[in-house]
Amino acid sequence: MTGRGMRRIGALLSKELEDLRGNPGLFLPAVMTGMISIVIPFVVAIAIPYFTGERLADSSDFRAAIEMYRDQLATSRLDPEGAIQAFIFQQFLILLVVTPVAGAMSVAAYAVIGEKQARTLEPLLATPLTTFELLAAKVLGALVPGIVLVTICFALYLGGIVLVAHAGVYRVLLFPRSLLTIFLLGPLASLAALQLAVCVSSRVNDARSAQQIGALIILPISALLVAQFTGTVQLTSALILVISAGLATLNAVLMAIGIRLFDRESILTRWT
Amino acid sequence: MALVATLVASHLTRRFDSRLAVEDVSFNLVPGEIFALLGPNGAGKTTTLRMLAGLIDPSSGDVRIDNEAMSRRAGPRLRGRIGFLTEAPGLWDRLTVGQNLLVYARLHGLPNPARTVDDVLELFDIRARRDERAAQLSKGLKQRVALARTLLHKPDIVLLDEPTSGLDPESARDVRELILRLRDERRAVLLSTHNLDEVQRIANRVAVLRTRLVALDTPSALRSRLFGARVLVTLAQPANGFASMLGPAFNDVRVTDRALSIGVDDVATRAPAIVRALVHGGADVVSVTAEEPPLEHVYLRLLEKEKA
Repeated sequence: MTGRGMRRIGALLSKELEDLRGNPGLFLPAVMTGMISIVIPFVVAIAIPYFTGERLADSSDFRAAIEMYRDQLATSRLDPEGAIQAFIFQQFLILLVVTPVAGAMSVAAYAVIGEKQARTLEPLLATPLTTFELLAAKVLGALVPGIVLVTICFALYLGGIVLVAHAGVYRVLLFPRSLLTIFLLGPLASLAALQLAVCVSSRVNDARSAQQIGALIILPISALLVAQFTGTVQLTSALILVISAGLATLNAVLMAIGIRLFDRESILTRWT
Repeated sequence: MALVATLVASHLTRRFDSRLAVEDVSFNLVPGEIFALLGPNGAGKTTTLRMLAGLIDPSSGDVRIDNEAMSRRAGPRLRGRIGFLTEAPGLWDRLTVGQNLLVYARLHGLPNPARTVDDVLELFDIRARRDERAAQLSKGLKQRVALARTLLHKPDIVLLDEPTSGLDPESARDVRELILRLRDERRAVLLSTHNLDEVQRIANRVAVLRTRLVALDTPSALRSRLFGARVLVTLAQPANGFASMLGPAFNDVRVTDRALSIGVDDVATRAPAIVRALVHGGADVVSVTAEEPPLEHVYLRLLEKEKA
């Protein structure tokens, strides 16, 4: 990658972000996903016990959670109710991974195929921009806002926990496992979804197909969430790193396939 | 001295699956000329332009710029020497005029993008529109901004796809003047259009395309080839009766009211003899001109011949 190439990516990326600023509604699904992701755990861990008057610690279903957090230094001082809250807030964290995916998909569908439909792609392709640079700018243009959004959601989540949960519960969000989930697994999953959408884009004619197929990445994330709750899988830092390595490999493969499939020719002549 | 071609298209052929869009098209563009590409809808004009601009590859044949082939590797660099005005202005609606141009200035790696944008806004008389969103502009203004974007990096090859399509007469005239200015700046201009009047006014050479190249020459040479050279003499009195006074050397004479249209091999050498013969026969000659059938007739005749 040359300095000129980097500058071209920067130029197009700034356009993507400016364009998004002019059309914030595009990001609404991602904002909704983010909000729902951070509200649900508060409903489960705080609101329901509050309104029903039943403490979480009274339920035998959460025994394992109490044991799990008692063994860890940062949370060993949590009372049983706090330990269960910590368990719920951390288990639901995986939902936040869906936020950048949703954000990226809604932006990508517009950024790539919308450009063709608005007839703005041809003059762009007539510049010295290479296919890789175009792809990189488009992918980053969709990925960066998603990561910004998930960071904001994470900050709100953390702030909410500090405010309404038991003292010290917030510490679970600062565990490497939590941070890896949000800042490594999330972006890598978004990238994979985006690239999947890009690969599909060169073979289909409309944004919706690309969006739907790209969104398939949400399925394994949802499966992870369910597996965690049923106790089938313990999402440890090591497991997150293994999954992330798998996603990184998948991303490299998808990028190679994407560049091969996503050539100027198919963009200009196949997409309508 | 012969001009060295800036862009050479050799035997360009392009298939889309089983459909042949362009077949064996060859021509060159030289600096300081306006080359018009004419053809009916679906004739392959846009496909040809896209191949010239390095946007799509030919199935066979090649495009060379200063003898360097347009390849995947050289494409990005060579595209930097081309300004391609696409059929649609293709502006980003949510961005302002200035932002649209600035992105392109940076994509072309211009040394001082903001300054270049200022200059081009001034040149195209759109400085006042700098902060307006592209969506708010009229069609004519959008086209003007698109032209500014096309010429932002001072390309030496300019490809224009329907540059005056849908413009009001004043805007169309401005665009034509700009194209002439580009020619005067020694740039090679290729103009793809349906506007034959425009071509007649400004083109140095004309190519007629219908998948294959039907004809390629200067407008006057095409006229002569199809219609022959003719001298049009207008008289003060009815022209009937004067045709016979021209003698056997002029046997292709058409008479209409007060005018005689006479087929000749060369207008400049034959016109004086015609005038002499008519004046000698008592005709009052009002005007003598080389008769030029409109380019539209030439174009339609060429396509008819091609069909036949």
